[in-house]
Amino acid sequence: MFEPDEELIERVVRQLRRPVTVDAGLDARVMEQVRRLPARRAAGAAHAAWGWLTRPRTVPFLPLGALAVAAVFVAVVLWRPDRPSRPASVSEFGFVVVAPRATTVSLVGDFNDWDAARTPMQRVRKDESVWTAVIPLTPGRYRYAFLVDGVRWLADPAAPAARDDEYGAPSSVVTVGGS
Amino acid sequence: MGIERVGTSDVEAVRRVLGGDTEAYATLVARYRDRLARYAVHMLGNREDAEEALQDAFVRAYRSLERCDDAARFGAWLYGILVNRCRTTGARAAKRGRVFVRDEAALNGVAHASTAEQTEGEDVVRWALARLTPEYREAFLLKHVEDLEYEEMARLTGASVSALKMRVKRAREQLQAILREAERV
Repeated sequence: MFEPDEELIERVVRQLRRPVTVDAGLDARVMEQVRRLPARRAAGAAHAAWGWLTRPRTVPFLPLGALAVAAVFVAVVLWRPDRPSRPASVSEFGFVVVAPRATTVSLVGDFNDWDAARTPMQRVRKDESVWTAVIPLTPGRYRYAFLVDGVRWLADPAAPAARDDEYGAPSSVVTVGGS
Repeated sequence: MGIERVGTSDVEAVRRVLGGDTEAYATLVARYRDRLARYAVHMLGNREDAEEALQDAFVRAYRSLERCDDAARFGAWLYGILVNRCRTTGARAAKRGRVFVRDEAALNGVAHASTAEQTEGEDVVRWALARLTPEYREAFLLKHVEDLEYEEMARLTGASVSALKMRVKRAREQLQAILREAERV
């Protein structure tokens, strides 16, 4: 039986509010970096000048002046030599699903011809419910789903649903951008 | 709660740093490290990126300390820098194609004796959180975990209050859907 939505969110928040500690050496690394920076001098004329230079202030707005600035900016942006096109790059993509009662989970999709044997997912830890698979993908749009125990299709609950699914089974879409 | 004023301690430390006492900055780092770390770890999903963003935020804050207009609100100002660093680091991580990475080290950093069941529950929550878009995750964490007012969130993120309210609502709905789905499987 599910707990009410409010309680579910409260449980999530309670877990996320637990203290998280980071490497104690972080303080030392920060201080080592700041010690390497130019030493500050006592606040005086330089500090006051810096404050004056960086203080936000209101300036009168003149549309023609703004247009002139914008025109120069556009000209600078447009005046660039053409960059050579780069070849499609391959990125490693991790797919994760939580399936506590599953015995096997496969990642199936356009990238492996929906073949359940080609991308079996692995448990993150032996007794754990989180399953993962990492595959290389070139830029493009891929439909995919998880196949639980060889029989149950599961769309990714957090990804967009595929609208053009001709197989009648739930599936999701991932779009891999270019470089 | 929100980002509270710490009062004279921060003011004094900031004044000393601006006066040339670099070592006084260590007080501020130690004071804000863990609280900011929680946000960074949850926002970025792993300790390595979180520490990088945190360290970068502290160093940037030191370099531009003159721009902190109200030293009593140093914490809120620093928070704004971290939120931006997390956006940059998160975008870089996304470009690397990492959707979700389990992070043993961050889990070990949780200062609680975890049973196997508790650890698994935390893992599922972290997984669900990682499935949100960065905007939704950011809004959810700032509102519900860091307990900020919407006006404060608007100052930190540059988004409008109404946009933030919508993001928090959607984040809650999506988290519920993701976790319900996980319970069903």
